[in-house]
Amino acid sequence: MELPLYRIDAFTDRMFGGNPAGVVPLRRWLPEATMQAIAAENNQAETAFFVPDGEGFRLRWFTPTVEADLCGHATLGTAFVISEFLEPGRNRMWFDTLSGRLDVQRAGDLFTLDLPLRPASPATNPAVGEALGAEPGELLASVSYLAVFDRWEDVAHLKPNLRAVAALPLDGVLVTAPGRDGVDFVARYFAPGAGIPEDPATGSSHCILMPYWAKRLGRNRLRARQISQRVGDFDCELTRDRVKIGGRAVCNMRGSIFVDG
Amino acid sequence: MELPLYQIDAFTNKLFAGNAAGVVPLKAPLPEAVMQAIALENNLPETAFFYPEGEGYRLRWFSPAVEINLCGHATVATAFVITEYLERGRLEMAFETKSGRLGVERKGDIFVLDFPARQIKPGNQPAVGAALGRKPVELVESYSWLAVYESWEDVATLQPDFEAMAKLDLFGVIATSPGRDGIDYVSRFFAPKAGINEDPATGSAQCVLMPYWAKRLGRNRLTSRQISSRVGDFDCELAGERVKIGGRAVCYMRGSISVA
Repeated sequence: MELPLYRIDAFTDRMFGGNPAGVVPLRRWLPEATMQAIAAENNQAETAFFVPDGEGFRLRWFTPTVEADLCGHATLGTAFVISEFLEPGRNRMWFDTLSGRLDVQRAGDLFTLDLPLRPASPATNPAVGEALGAEPGELLASVSYLAVFDRWEDVAHLKPNLRAVAALPLDGVLVTAPGRDGVDFVARYFAPGAGIPEDPATGSSHCILMPYWAKRLGRNRLRARQISQRVGDFDCELTRDRVKIGGRAVCNMRGSIFVDG
Repeated sequence: MELPLYQIDAFTNKLFAGNAAGVVPLKAPLPEAVMQAIALENNLPETAFFYPEGEGYRLRWFSPAVEINLCGHATVATAFVITEYLERGRLEMAFETKSGRLGVERKGDIFVLDFPARQIKPGNQPAVGAALGRKPVELVESYSWLAVYESWEDVATLQPDFEAMAKLDLFGVIATSPGRDGIDYVSRFFAPKAGINEDPATGSAQCVLMPYWAKRLGRNRLTSRQISSRVGDFDCELAGERVKIGGRAVCYMRGSISVA
């Protein structure tokens, strides 16, 4: 059986930037073991599989080892494939996922995901600063730790002890600092416990970052940059109980895969 | 610019097994930084880039992080792409590489690499067994350590301490034991120092394994299996100072990449 495969760099407008996702459009679901094997073979952070369902789609994400319950960049990658290649001109779509219904809107080259808030509360755990190799000015916790530093350089220069980060109780550690030159805040995200030493561009971390920075800066529309090696860019907006995460995408690869069955 | 990209599973005849390689046929050389960026984006153990040169080809291999000196599985994958898609019917080819000229011959569905045999000698380094978590019955020194065990299960159940292993002096550690059911020996290969905790199917490890097993078993043609989670299969022959490493390949993906 021959299936289409796309590789999309999401949260960037530059080739080889952002976060690459595999995207496999399907007419109906493949066996779970086949989707897992395809995701392992692709060896991208996530591969998205989707099938049409009424006016919308059902969407699932697989890492090389497990099914993921929420993935922003592969959702953006999927929306890009639909509106660019499969249904050109379509600007609105929704996906039923393990994390409920996710809406995506396209305006020009910007794709906006509508995601739930995950506000962080003050936390105390000296092991976080030790694992990061630098003491944050402020520590909060949601599904991941949020370690706040004073300066862009503090975040850029961190060399965490990934083994110690993996031993922490939460999903991972987000580090952040104020931005400059039109960027409101910068961040990096480490989740070695989930097999991701450092994620290049993470949509869902803005569910934690936006409530913090919107309150601190007194504005609801903010521009964020993930200062990983590949660099991710985000146009975010905090509404009453949701966060809108906007990003661009480029198609890096189009092809066909050959799968038994 | 659009370039073709293939993803081939080498040293196997089954999809999702063996060792995955990206293969990018070129008409002319690309800047190194572009090849490195493509290899990083592919995020496969190696991506091969090749272009015609004289009667043969110039071939280079990139891991996601660096250019590699020698890579067996991506060479099999490249030979597969050439004989299957680009020059159907071609059975012999030569690649100019960082490790000199490498010849590949296709025999039916088997691709045979002609590699140099590695020198082996008895070794003595207790830290190797300690890093593997099980003391081998014999230790051999070559460009990597070769730790010999009594049974397939001894090798299959190893759970190495990769941090300790990365501190050893040689390139990596090969663990091996006798095989069964038509397989002469089995192996696994660990190279945490090179960023590869465990390699799924390693052509070049046979350059160490064959001099050892051919002598021990008294035969020059041996069938071997790498018992990683993906499993690699090799038909090997020791011919004097050379090792002929035969393997199959399957195509997982054909596509085209955009390079800005």
